[in-house]
Amino acid sequence: MAFEKVLTRNVGNPAVLRTRGYRDTGGYDALSKALRMAPEEVIEEVKRSGLRGRGGAGFPCGMKWSFVPRQSPQPKYIVCNADESEPGTFKDRLLMEFDPHQLLEGCVIAGWAVGANTTYIYIRGEYTKAASVLEEAVRDAYASGILGDSVLGTGFRHDIHVHRGAGAYICGEETGLLESLEGRLGQPRVKPPFPAVVGAFGCPTVINNVETLCCVPHIVQRGADWFKGIGPDERNTGPKLYAVSGHVERPGTYEHPIGITFQELLDGCGGMYQGRALKAVIPGGASAPMLGPEDREIPLDFDRLARAGSMLGSAAVIVMDETTCVVRATLRLARFFAHESCGQCTPCREGTNWMAKILARIESGKGTEADLDLLASVVPNVGGISLCALGDASQGPVKSMIAKFGEEIRDNLRHGRYPLPRRRIFELGAVA
Amino acid sequence: MPTVTIDDRIVEVPAGTNLIDAGQRVGVQIPHYCYHPRLSVVGQCRMCMVEIEGMPKLQAACSTQVVKDGMVVRTRTAAVVEAQRAVMEFLLINHPLDCPICDQAGECELQDYSFKHGQAFSRFRYEEKRTYPEKERIPLGPHVLLNMNRCIHCTRCVRFTEEVSGTGELGFFQRGAHKEIGVFPGKPLDNPLSTCVVDLCPVGALTSTRFRFAERVWYLDKRPSLCTGCDVGCNVTIEHRRGRVRRYKPRVNPEVNDHWMCDHGRTTPERYTELPRLAAPRARRGDETRPVGWREAIDAVTQRLRARSSDGTFAFLGSGFLSTEEAYLLSTLAEAVGSPHRAVWVDSGPPRRIPNPAGWLEGRDAAPNRRGAELAGLVPGPGGIDASELLVGAGAGRCSVLFVADSDFGRAAHDAKVVERLRAAQFLVVMGWADTPLARAADLALPVATHAERDGTFVNVAGRLQRFGAAFPPPTQVRDALSVLVELLARFRPEVAGWSVGEVFAEMARRRPAFSGHAWARIPATGSSLASAPEPTAAAQG
Repeated sequence: MAFEKVLTRNVGNPAVLRTRGYRDTGGYDALSKALRMAPEEVIEEVKRSGLRGRGGAGFPCGMKWSFVPRQSPQPKYIVCNADESEPGTFKDRLLMEFDPHQLLEGCVIAGWAVGANTTYIYIRGEYTKAASVLEEAVRDAYASGILGDSVLGTGFRHDIHVHRGAGAYICGEETGLLESLEGRLGQPRVKPPFPAVVGAFGCPTVINNVETLCCVPHIVQRGADWFKGIGPDERNTGPKLYAVSGHVERPGTYEHPIGITFQELLDGCGGMYQGRALKAVIPGGASAPMLGPEDREIPLDFDRLARAGSMLGSAAVIVMDETTCVVRATLRLARFFAHESCGQCTPCREGTNWMAKILARIESGKGTEADLDLLASVVPNVGGISLCALGDASQGPVKSMIAKFGEEIRDNLRHGRYPLPRRRIFELGAVA
Repeated sequence: MPTVTIDDRIVEVPAGTNLIDAGQRVGVQIPHYCYHPRLSVVGQCRMCMVEIEGMPKLQAACSTQVVKDGMVVRTRTAAVVEAQRAVMEFLLINHPLDCPICDQAGECELQDYSFKHGQAFSRFRYEEKRTYPEKERIPLGPHVLLNMNRCIHCTRCVRFTEEVSGTGELGFFQRGAHKEIGVFPGKPLDNPLSTCVVDLCPVGALTSTRFRFAERVWYLDKRPSLCTGCDVGCNVTIEHRRGRVRRYKPRVNPEVNDHWMCDHGRTTPERYTELPRLAAPRARRGDETRPVGWREAIDAVTQRLRARSSDGTFAFLGSGFLSTEEAYLLSTLAEAVGSPHRAVWVDSGPPRRIPNPAGWLEGRDAAPNRRGAELAGLVPGPGGIDASELLVGAGAGRCSVLFVADSDFGRAAHDAKVVERLRAAQFLVVMGWADTPLARAADLALPVATHAERDGTFVNVAGRLQRFGAAFPPPTQVRDALSVLVELLARFRPEVAGWSVGEVFAEMARRRPAFSGHAWARIPATGSSLASAPEPTAAAQG
């Protein structure tokens, strides 16, 4: 059965940038349906759909919504995490730039479900185009009575604010995001309390990824059973965007049913670049441990990737071919984490830097096998005891580099092969 | 209240108690850097990791609260020990390890925990340490210097300025390994409590401009005492080496100064080196002065006080620096010679504010014990001359004996005009530690102990009776004021001879209602509240 695109169905249709055009495709029907349902019913439907968070952690969305205390006298907030800054990830950008109203619809439905009258869309600072598209869409939605004091004339009030970040990876961590949103330094908070209870401005808050919220209107409109029908099992459901980059013929964002294998995904991108051999693949963004060529047939979903020692994360698939120096690739990622560590907690602040320094020594040819052993013993200390998930994330690439390519690196070290020759990644075509 | 098991010890704690505090109750020390009981919990240093039954990962003890029965915590498992070792290793890889020239050495938590939880060798080789060039001695304000290379990024100082002093001068800037502490441009760290950040700093990143390089801390002897800077009565520890006071550090008392003290209070011991010291009893005849022995000096005062001159009165002027017991003896001496002329003089100072859990305590006197002295009886009797008549008016001219107890009782003791007025008395006795213009003008100058050399009590602005003790003995020839006054009083009331401070206090408790029910030996380390401390009289304000 051919998979019919869901989230990206409107991509390439400029009409949907306007409220009217979006409505012509059936947009906002889900919202008006949701507003006729009781909030609890909406939550129940999303719960039943099995929708899991698309931002990285894969937490069940409906359950997250149900944690918000209904009876709390405080205002409640929806925060849309659009701070897409995991290296390799560019799926949310596509959704925001090409179908902004789909996201707005998801936000308002979420607001109805948990009783929130305000949504903040915290968008990555570098996403200037997406931000202006969204801002324009929000203006248009206000003008069309979708947003404001009475959503679709029902008397339910909902406002949406687009808030641009200032360029920090850590602000994609949900509590770091909240700090930044509140105007403070973007540093993660101690948890518990979790944002569902004490979130933005001290009030109960639901934080969802862009893609997660974009799934919501479809679940409401077509039902949880339809959503569950996509994907391999009850715990991995729905359509999924895969952002493919690296040594493939046609990099880009691809929508597939969740749980297709890496090989299927690769085939959809036209295969490896120039038919070269696969060396390594990062299946879920920079923090996901690398997989090797032997893992081609692993289905790309939450549970099977976790079982294989990696994770679906943001489903940013970074493909590296045989010309890649894995130490150099890992060093690049380690430097990213060291640069983006907020610096609050000891293991992450000091550990990410130390890992990068040791990797740099190995990569530059000044390292020995003892350095690889040292690295292996430092890595487990960086995560596990850090304040937020960034410390844990920084372990992924390094740990997997040692696990998957340790013997090869040792061999290279023994024979003094580092630094490996730098090859031009892509051959430049003839310029006419 | 829920119970929690920590290392096989069971303790009942109020719900919401964190594991570091709970551990402390049963003698389990959980190492920590960023946690401080009076600051918000940020869980940054990751030193306080513990194992909790039923949780897959180690948890930070500071941010884990006991909410319901049955939590089982272990603080010395292999995983915890490894986590502590790892955190110590991380903290030290970029630390300069300049302990030999660091002021904090000897009282540094990085040193202590290295010894206890760290390892004796470094695995950080070849690479360069992260440093903060040009940031080795940055004056953050008048009292505090920052060496960023030593900082472990615990942010206690930042949280102090945000949450306790409420001034918010400090910020946490940059990101990752380059994260740094600093002030905002043009906004120095100059709040009145600024030196508290030096006490809070677990390492040598923040040092005090006053104490810097003054003394290695392991040479300091320490004795609990009270600050004399104002009438808040901050609890302090006097730290000295062989009788040279090097610094005052706040001593925790949640009822008064909590964990804090002000910068002004820290400067008060400097007075003992700024002013010349009275070294031996000194008598004057005309313009000539000569040293005399103590017996001769006390004889001379006794003789004057016995000679009941018909046209002169005996007046006794005390200060707010007297201990309550000294003030009591002085007032009793006045009673013994039948004089109603008893007074205490205190300069009013700029307000000194100290936060404690109940709010802010504000002191307005420039001396610690005006209330205690008044409650002990140092107030004019019927028809008595009050302090301003002596200092501002011509009261001294009517005195055959004017006994001033405290040569450094206030600004007036250094004011030539006031000294001239007091000099009008026929016989001027000045007792005190400092050789001030007033002491030099006296017919008889009696050298007594400084605050750090005597025992006694003060009564603070909130009516709290607090005890202090001698940190070291006074120099030869100098006696503590209490024993001098006891000896003098014994000439009129022989039963007083040889009384200790406790015996003086006991009589005071019998004869002065404010102290009734209190006993010297039973005053707790944090003081006790006098049930009804009357508001001070406005007349005594300078």
